[in-house]
Parts: sequence; C-alpha cells; structure tokens
Amino acid sequence: MNKITSKIILLLILLFNSNSVFASGAEETEHVLPNPIMVLPFAILLLMIATGPLFYHHFWERNYPKIALALGSVTVLYYLIFLNDTHSLVHTLAEYISFIALLASLFVASGGILIKVAKKSTPMLNVMILLFGAVISNIIGTTGASMLLIRPYIKVNRDRIKAYHIVFFIFAVSNIGGALDPIGDPPLFLGFLRGIGFFWFFEHIFVVWVPTLLALMTIFYIIDSRNKGEEKPGVEYTGKIEFRGGKNVIFLAIILLSVFIDPGIIKWVPSLTPLPFGIREIIMLTVVYFSYKYADKKILEANEFNFEPIREVAFLFVGIFATMIPALQLIEHESKIYGHELTPGIFYWATGSLSAFLDNAPTFLNFLSAALGKYGMDVDVKQQVYDFSLTYPIYVQAISIAAVFFGAMSYIGNGPNFMVKSICERAGIKMPSFFGFLIKYSIPILLPLFFIIWLLVFYGRV
Amino acid sequence: MAISILRKGLTMKKLDDVLKNNLNGLHYGNRVLLPFQADILKAVIENDIITDFSSTKSGASYKVNEDFTEIYFYDYKILSEVVKGFEKIKLIVVEKGRDIFDFSNHRKIALSIEEKHKITISEINDDTLLFIE
Repeated sequence: MNKITSKIILLLILLFNSNSVFASGAEETEHVLPNPIMVLPFAILLLMIATGPLFYHHFWERNYPKIALALGSVTVLYYLIFLNDTHSLVHTLAEYISFIALLASLFVASGGILIKVAKKSTPMLNVMILLFGAVISNIIGTTGASMLLIRPYIKVNRDRIKAYHIVFFIFAVSNIGGALDPIGDPPLFLGFLRGIGFFWFFEHIFVVWVPTLLALMTIFYIIDSRNKGEEKPGVEYTGKIEFRGGKNVIFLAIILLSVFIDPGIIKWVPSLTPLPFGIREIIMLTVVYFSYKYADKKILEANEFNFEPIREVAFLFVGIFATMIPALQLIEHESKIYGHELTPGIFYWATGSLSAFLDNAPTFLNFLSAALGKYGMDVDVKQQVYDFSLTYPIYVQAISIAAVFFGAMSYIGNGPNFMVKSICERAGIKMPSFFGFLIKYSIPILLPLFFIIWLLVFYGRV
Repeated sequence: MAISILRKGLTMKKLDDVLKNNLNGLHYGNRVLLPFQADILKAVIENDIITDFSSTKSGASYKVNEDFTEIYFYDYKILSEVVKGFEKIKLIVVEKGRDIFDFSNHRKIALSIEEKHKITISEINDDTLLFIE
C-alpha cells in the first residue's frame, strides 16, 4: 500500500516539475507544456467552490459567475498570449458545449415530468427507489435519472427526510449507478467514441457494480432503519404511482437517440468542424427550447422549475473546464513518461482521486491514453482502443470504475451532484457543506468501499 | 381605543380568509408585507434556508404589526430580481393567537413575486410544491 500510495503521490508531485513540449493524447497536435503555476486558477476556483457557500455564502451567491469567468479567462488568455495554443481551447470549448447541452436538455426535459409515489416511506422502499434510479441512470443518464427521481424520493420521505437520504441518492443514482454503459456517464461515452464496445462496460463492470451497490444499500438500510421519523396521524397511502408529463418522455428519448448522432459513430452524420459543436448539440439545445415551451405549466409549477440549478452548473463548469486545461495536460504528460511504472491499481487511484474533484470525462481520456501508451498504442486509433479493451481489460476497467464511482466523492465530482443539492436546498432540506459531505459521508462510507474494490480487483495486477 | 378596535375589525385578516379570497401581499425591494399576523418559523428563498430571524443585518427578520406582518430579506436587494418564473419564497408560519407548539398549526405557504409590487399567496400541500419543514 505504501509503495502504491507513494507512486500516486509521485505522479501528482511530478505535475509540478514539467517544462517540456509534449504531444496531447487526444490529438496529435504539438503543445507547449503549460507552466505548473497555471494550475493555480483551478486550485483557487476549487477552493472557492468549497469554501464560498460555507464562509462567505452571499458574496459567493452573487459573484460566482464573475469569479468562474474571471479565473477561466486567466487560463484562456495564458493559452492565447503565452502559448499561442488555440487548439486546446477550442477542444475544451467543444467538450464544454457537449457537456452542458446534454446536462441542460436532460434537466429541462425531466423538469416537465412529475412522478408521485403514494407509499409510506420505509428503508426497503428507499432502497428500491435508489436501485431503480441506479438502473435507469444507464438508460437516461445519471443527470436524467437524478432529475426525474429526486423530487418523488423527497416527497416519499417528507416526514423523515435527513441529509443522508440525499447523500446516498447522489452516491447511487447520480454517480455509481451509471457505470454500465456509455449513456450512463460522459467518460464512458468518450471511451465508446474512441472505440470501446457499447456492451464492454456492462460485461466488465457489472461484477463490481452489483456488490458495490449492494454494500452501499446495506449501509443505507442500516442507517435508514434507525430513523423512525414522525408518522402523521390520519395519512392514508393508496400505494399508487402516478406519472405525468408523457410528452417530455418523448423529448428524453430524442436526447438519448441524439447521443449517437455523431460522425464518429454514424458515418453519414456531417461534422460541423471547425464549429465547436455538432448536430447532436444542436438537437439537444433545440430540445431545451421545445421541452420547456410545451411542458405542462402545472407540472413545471409543482416542480418549481427554474433555470438556476443549470445556470449554476453552466457558470461553475465553464470556469472548471477552462482552468483545468493545464492540470489535465500536465497529468497526461507525466502519465506518459511514467506510464510503464503504472499498474492498474495506480491507474485506479490516480483516475479516482482526480475524478473526485475534476471533470471525470477528460480525466478518463487522459489516463486511457496513458494506459494505451504503455503498450505503444494510440487513443486516436479506434481499432487499437478496441483491441486494447479486449487484450488488457483490467486497465480500462480500473480507469472506468474509478472515473464513474469517484465522481460521488464530492459535490463537484459530477454535474448532477450540484443540481441535486440545489433542488434539495430549495425544498428546505439543509445539506452538508462541501467539507461536511467529504468528512461525514464520502470519506467514511465510499472510501472504504473503493479500497475494498481495489484490494479485490486491482491489487497486485500488472 | 374605540377607533383602534374598529380599525382592527376592519383590516386585520385571518390567513384562511387571505387564501380563500386570493388576497395579495406586497413587495418593495427586499421587504415583504403579508396581510395577516403570523410568526415565521422557516423561510426558503433561492438556496437559502433561514431559521434565524434575530439579526437585522443578514438573513431575514420579521415584525408582526397590528394589521400585517413584514419580512426583510437582508441578503437580497430586490426580490423580484431573484425570485422569478415558477420559483417562490416558501414560509412556515403560525398565525398569531395559535399555539406555536402544536404542529398542526404550522402552515406552509408560498409567495409568488408578481409585477406592480404584488405578491400572490398560496398554501403549499403535498400535491403542489416540495417543501420540507
């Protein structure tokens, strides 16, 4: 363990010792390596996201868009003026547009759907809802599943709701659940675009997914069984499950189908290059407009629908995407140099620890590139990625599981985490702070689980 | 004294009357005026959950007047700029004169900020908004 820990620490420390020219794993374009000091805007932004709501709440509430844009601009100007590297910026802009188009469309479309569950809250019912959410997050994505189920889940538990209910929802539905196919979580989708088979993830992750979720649900069940709550006298439960907003289900289906409308998957789909978006993003943003325009206003009102949660994600992540460019490029550079020393276990912890706080999609891609590089393969060659996933599945498994599972470690680990938090606070539920989430929940609950996964699946593998 | 009683009788309204007759409240900047007397236990505005009404500088405070209740949200300059669309200010209130310790007297209400300083008041139930006490 000490050796592995020291290697991970070495990998992270090496980020601060880079000053050479390297080739990006995603593209063959030569980039000048950024100065390690340029990781600072990213560190400052993460620190402010962590401390803002805690220590200077209202300043943060009023100014987070300006702060995110200002810090993002520092990185953008550095790349434009000092590195003369527009390629990295355009590439990141394309990833951001793709990210926000998917998130916004799922958010708006699911906002027009209302599910009512007239059942009495019990630990077993909650486990069922969470497991159902984990399964459907592979069909409508972790964002779609989170937005669809968070309100009925709160309503079922309205008389006994505690912060841990929401935290386990974030763990199971907003993150870990979506590890079984490329629709579940963006990093897996990037892997699919690069050549990993659609069903590869199910075949190789299901064996880890099931015990992880069962262990998580057992912990949840024990905690929830101790919460007796207060039963309201005279409340009758019909046991019915009501579903309203059918036409928005059609919009959800359009979003899911549009995920595959990519020149890399379907040959006849035109590429809009040099524009930083494609047909897929246009469809998704069109769905945002129509699913809001034609949604049942009573449902929107009942969901207290507003654009603030997605606005918050859009602003914070524009800053995160921009400021993390240097960090990701430095990681990629170092992981290529030291790739031969990296075992699946190292890839697991390195991908996981970064995915807990960075966007997991580019983190996934960079470590996948490093793993391929170890065997002289190229992440840009689809056939090689496909062959690699079959020949050395343990690496892809380690990187995939870590990228998806560790997103549950913090509010900023995955897009839906923040949205769920925002919806719950608007419903009057006091949520843990950034550090409270880490200290009270993710470190004591998730980290031991992730450690066991490493011990059973990746320890000692080369 | 007689004038005061007469005035009370003419203007002070019960929460049920306000809800039944769709009587509106008012908003001016960060100030909300509700046409009934009530103690406020909890307020949710945007992501802010306010239960401490003791400060007159941050969060919120309220004052029960003879004919109305007024609330000041100190962290928001103009409420109409932040509470928009389908969003509402949510309150848990106990009408003046009712037993505050009896949970059945805790009423959940939603305030919609409208144009021309008007506030629409509606009761929250499980079929409408999601609001946890």
